[in-house]
Amino acid sequence: MESPGIIYTGEHLLLGQIGHFSVLLLWVSSLLSGLSYYLSVRKDAPGWKAMGRGAFISHAIALVAVIGSVFLAMTQKYYEYHYVWTHVSDELPFRYLFAAFWEGQEGSFLLWMFWNAVLGLLLMATARRWESPVLAVFAGVQAILASMILGIYVGWGDAALKIGSSPFQLLRDVMDAPLFQQVDYLELVKGNGLNPLLQNYWMTIHPPTLFLGFSSTLVPFAFAIAGLWIKDYSGWLKSALPWSLFSAGILGTGILMGGAWAYEALSFGGYWAWDPVENMSLVPWLVLIAGIHTHLIARSTQHSLRGTYLFYILQFALVVYSTFLTRSGVLGETSVHAFTEMGLESQLLFFLGAVTLLPGLLFFWRNRNIPSPEKEELVPSREFWMFMGSLVLFFSALLIAGSTSLPVWNKIRQLFDPLYAGKVITEPIAHYNKYQIWIALLIMIMSGAAQFLRFRESKWGAIRKKFFLTTLGQWGISVICFYPINKSLNPQAWQYSLLLFAAIYGFIANLWVLVSIFRLRTRWVSSVLSHSGFAVMIIGILFSGLNKQIISDNPFIMEGLIEGASEESSRRNILLFKETPMRMSSYEVNYYADSLDHYTRTYFLKFVGHDESGRRKDSFTLTPSVIYDKSFKKIAASNPSTHRYIDRDIFTHIASLPQVEMDMELRKQKEDSLKFERLAILPKTTYIHQDHKYLGDKDTLLQRDYSFRIMEVDYQPSHPEYTPEEGDLAIGLRMEVSRSDDKKSREVTPVLVLRENLLYSYPVQINPWSTRIRLPEEILPRLYTFEEDLRYEKVNLKVGESFLINENRIRFDGFVRNPKTPEYQIKEGDLAVGANLLVQGADNQSWRAMPVFLIRNGEPLNVKKEIHTLGLHLRFPLLDPRTEEAEIMYAIAPAKEGPIPVEIATDSFRSDYIVLEALAFPGINLFWGGSCLMLAGLFLGMVLRFNKKRVDAVT
Amino acid sequence: MKRMYILGVLMIAVAILLLFNAAEDVSSYATFSEASGTGHVVKIAGALSKDKRMEYNPEKDPNYFSFFISDTHGVEKKVVLQAAKPQDFELSEQIVVTGQMKGDIFLATDLLMKCPSKYKDEEIYIRSEKRG
Repeated sequence: MESPGIIYTGEHLLLGQIGHFSVLLLWVSSLLSGLSYYLSVRKDAPGWKAMGRGAFISHAIALVAVIGSVFLAMTQKYYEYHYVWTHVSDELPFRYLFAAFWEGQEGSFLLWMFWNAVLGLLLMATARRWESPVLAVFAGVQAILASMILGIYVGWGDAALKIGSSPFQLLRDVMDAPLFQQVDYLELVKGNGLNPLLQNYWMTIHPPTLFLGFSSTLVPFAFAIAGLWIKDYSGWLKSALPWSLFSAGILGTGILMGGAWAYEALSFGGYWAWDPVENMSLVPWLVLIAGIHTHLIARSTQHSLRGTYLFYILQFALVVYSTFLTRSGVLGETSVHAFTEMGLESQLLFFLGAVTLLPGLLFFWRNRNIPSPEKEELVPSREFWMFMGSLVLFFSALLIAGSTSLPVWNKIRQLFDPLYAGKVITEPIAHYNKYQIWIALLIMIMSGAAQFLRFRESKWGAIRKKFFLTTLGQWGISVICFYPINKSLNPQAWQYSLLLFAAIYGFIANLWVLVSIFRLRTRWVSSVLSHSGFAVMIIGILFSGLNKQIISDNPFIMEGLIEGASEESSRRNILLFKETPMRMSSYEVNYYADSLDHYTRTYFLKFVGHDESGRRKDSFTLTPSVIYDKSFKKIAASNPSTHRYIDRDIFTHIASLPQVEMDMELRKQKEDSLKFERLAILPKTTYIHQDHKYLGDKDTLLQRDYSFRIMEVDYQPSHPEYTPEEGDLAIGLRMEVSRSDDKKSREVTPVLVLRENLLYSYPVQINPWSTRIRLPEEILPRLYTFEEDLRYEKVNLKVGESFLINENRIRFDGFVRNPKTPEYQIKEGDLAVGANLLVQGADNQSWRAMPVFLIRNGEPLNVKKEIHTLGLHLRFPLLDPRTEEAEIMYAIAPAKEGPIPVEIATDSFRSDYIVLEALAFPGINLFWGGSCLMLAGLFLGMVLRFNKKRVDAVT
Repeated sequence: MKRMYILGVLMIAVAILLLFNAAEDVSSYATFSEASGTGHVVKIAGALSKDKRMEYNPEKDPNYFSFFISDTHGVEKKVVLQAAKPQDFELSEQIVVTGQMKGDIFLATDLLMKCPSKYKDEEIYIRSEKRG
C-alpha cells in the first residue's frame, strides 16, 4: 500500500490507465453489441443490427488495445504492474513472452476473448441471416468474460464487491511491503518470472490452440440458440456443420497437444493421467462429437434434432463448467494443475448459470415446436445406430465428469454438514479405465457396423442378408488379424483382448468401406478416416499403456527389506555411477558426462542395445536434464529424454540426484565439514595410514589401511579443474595410493596453486573409497623456495661460454628469438628473447634451461627457469646488445628435508551418480498416428462440407 | 416415441448400476487401523513426522524410500514407497498415500504431497544493484 503523498519515480502509469479504460470500453461495447443484436432480432430492424455490428467491432478494437497494453508492459518489463511482475523477469528469453502473457488467469481470459472476437467477426461476415441471433450470443459471452478482468469495485468500504481481476493492477496495490516506502522502489524490484516448468515451446503453442478449441465451441452453441430463438429449427444445420467439425478438430488437437507436452516434458511417464483438468477438457469434446453425430442425422433425416440442440448447448456449458473447476481451486488436491484461486468463483458460477439455465429454459419453451418425424427410426438404420453412438459418447462424458466432480459433491455436502469428511477415488486410473474400456469397445463395434447401414432404411428385408454376410466377413478377417496382435500384446485381462478385437474390427470395417463404397460416397472418406484413426489410437493405447515396460529395474532386488512385498511391485529406478556401465534390460547404459549451462544440467547417457545372443544391435545417446531453481538449492524440473524407434519409444528421466548435487549450499557445507587428517609422508618411503570407521550402530569398527608412495613433485601440474595462468605458482604431488580392501592401487595428483597471494586447492576424489586427498598450504615452504629466500649471483656470458656451479657446468648455447617455454605465456606486443642454457651435472645428467628476458609495455621483465632436481634457479635479467653478452643470475636453493604434508578425508561420500527411470512405450506411434488420423478426418470433413456449401451457393 | 422412452429408462437403469459399482471405487481417507483391518488398497491422509528418520539411500537401493506419518487419529506408522524421494518432500503440509498395510509397515504405491503453493507470490526479490 502506498503511503499518502508519496510520488513514485519511474512508474509508467499512463499505460495502465489506458488499459483500464480499454477494459471498460471492451465490457460496455460488448454489452451494447449484445443488446443491439438482441433488439434487432426482436424488432427485426436493420438499425439495431448496424449498431450491434458497430459495437462488436468496437469491442474487438478495445480488446486489441487491452492485449497490446499488457504486451507492451511485459516487453518493457514494467514491474509496477502486478501481472508483469508475476510472470516476467529480467532473464526471460523473448521467445517466452507469449507464454508469460497467458500464464496467468487474466491473460488466459484475454486469449479466450481474442479467439471469440476473431470467430465472431468471421461469423459477422459469413452468417448472413443468422448473424443477429448468433452474434447476440457471442457478444453476451464476451461481456461475461470481460467482467472477469474488470477489476472494479461496487459498493463502499468493507462491503465493497470486487468484480473481476484486472491485469493492470499495480504491484504496490496488491502486495504490502516496506519496499514501497521508497520513492524509487521500482529500481530495486526484480520480476518473478515464468515458472521454469513452463519455459518451453509447448507453453507457447498449447494454450492458444486449446483456447481456440474452447472458443470455437461457442459457434455450434450460438447456432443452436439462434435456431431455437428465431424458430427456424433446421435452417442453421447446413452452415453450422463445418464450424462444428472445425471446433472438434481444433479442440481435439489442443487436448492431444496437452498429452504430447506431458509425455515429452514431464517426468510422470505417459500422455494421459486422468487428471481432473485433462478430463474436463475431454468431456466437452465428447459431447461435441455426440452432437456432430446427431447433427449429421438431422441433416439427412429429420431425426435427432432435439438431441443436436441438447448436445450443442451442453458441450458449451461443459466448457464453462470446466473453466469453473479449473479456476476456482475446488480441484485443489486432486489435480496436479495447480491454479491459484482468484476470488472469481461467484462470477464463474454466474457464467455457468447463464449458459445452462437460459438455454435450458429456451429449449423447454420451444420443445413442443421442434419438428420430429412421425415414424420412429428403424433399428437397422444408420440414424438409429449413430444416435446410439451419441448416447454412448454422452454416457462416457457423464461418467468422466461425474467422477471428476467428486470434490464438488464433497464441497456441496460440506455446506450442509461441515464435518463431512469428503470422499476421493482410491485409484483414479483403474477407476476411469474400467468404464472407458467398454465405452471404447461399444464405439468401435457401432462405428464399424453402422457404416453399412443406410439412412431411412426402407428395404431392410432385401439387404439384410448382405449386411450380415459383410459383417461376418469383416469379423473373419478381424479374427485372423487378432491372434498375432493379441499374442504380441499379451494382456493380463480378457477385457483388454476384447477391446483389441473390437478395435481391429472397427479398423477393418472402415477400411472395407474405403475399398467398396468409396466411389459412391466420396464424402464418407472423412468419417472413415476418423473412425479408423480412433481404432488405431485404441490399439496404440493398449500397447503403450498396458505394455509399458519399466526397463530400469534393478536385477538385484533387495529381498526381505519389505516383508510381504511382491516381486512385481514396480521398482522403477536404477542407480548409475558415472563412467560405470550398467546392464538394464537389453541395454548397456553408461552415464559418461554431464554439463552445466545457466540453470540446466544435462546428463549424457550412452545406450547400447543388444539382441538375445548378446551382440551389439544399435546405440544412441540420451540427454535427460534437470533445471535448478534460481538459488541452486533445489531442482525445479526434471526434463526427460526419449529415443524413438518406429515400434516403440525409450523414455528416460532423472528421478533423483545425490543431495549435494541438488543443493549447492549443502554441497559447500558438506565440503567444509569434511574431516581431514594430516599425513606426513617421507619421500622414497611407503607411508601407512590407518583409517577407522564405525559402521551401523557403532558396534562394528572397520579398519582400513591406506598406503601412500610419493612418485614425483610436478611443478607444472595439470588437474581437470585447473587452468594455469601466468604468475601461478603450482605444485602437484603425484602419488600412488592403495587401500587394504581394494586390489587396485590408484595414481592421484592433488594440486595447490598460489596466485596473487591467494591459495587455490584442487583436491582429488577417489569415489569408490569415499576418499578425498588434498595438499595443505604447509606443503609450499617444504617444496618451494620463495624468491626472498634465494641468493642470486651474477655472471656475464657470451655465446659458447660456460661456468661452473658446484659440480655442474652451465653452458650458454645461444639466444632464441620468440622463445616458447612452459613458464612463459606470450602476450601480444611482447619483445622476448630466451637464453638457451645447457646444464650438465654429475653422472652425465644434463638439462636444457631457457630463462626468458622480455620487454612488455616498455618494461623489462624476466621469466625464471628452475631445475628442481638440482635446486637451481636461473634468470636472464639483462642483455647487452653491443657486446652480445647475456647476464645470467643463478641461485641454489637451500636443501629441504623432512616429510611432505598431505591431507586425507575418508568421509567424502561419492556424489557421482544419478537415479534414472527408463520406460519403454511399445506401439506409442500408433497412438500418435491414430489420433492424428482421427483429427485429420474431422478437418477433412470440415473442408469437404465447406466446399460443398460454396458449390451449392454458386450453382 | 415409445422406443425413446424405453431407451431412456434403460439408460437410467444402467446409470444407477454404474453408480453403485463406482461407489466401491470411492472412499474417504482411511486410518492405519482401518487399513490393517480391511487389507484392501486405501488412501491415508497424514502429516509427516519430521522428527522420525526418513531414509533414502540411492546407493543402497534407489527404490526404497521410507518415512513416518501420523494419520488423523494420531497413529504413527512407517511408510515405504518403492520409488525415489520426491523433491520438496520435507516441505509438505499433508501427505496422501495410496497402498496397503503389510504387517506393521504401510506399503505405498502412490504418494501425493500437498505443499505450500509454489505459485504464491510471497516474496518480492530485490536486486543487489539498482537498475540503470
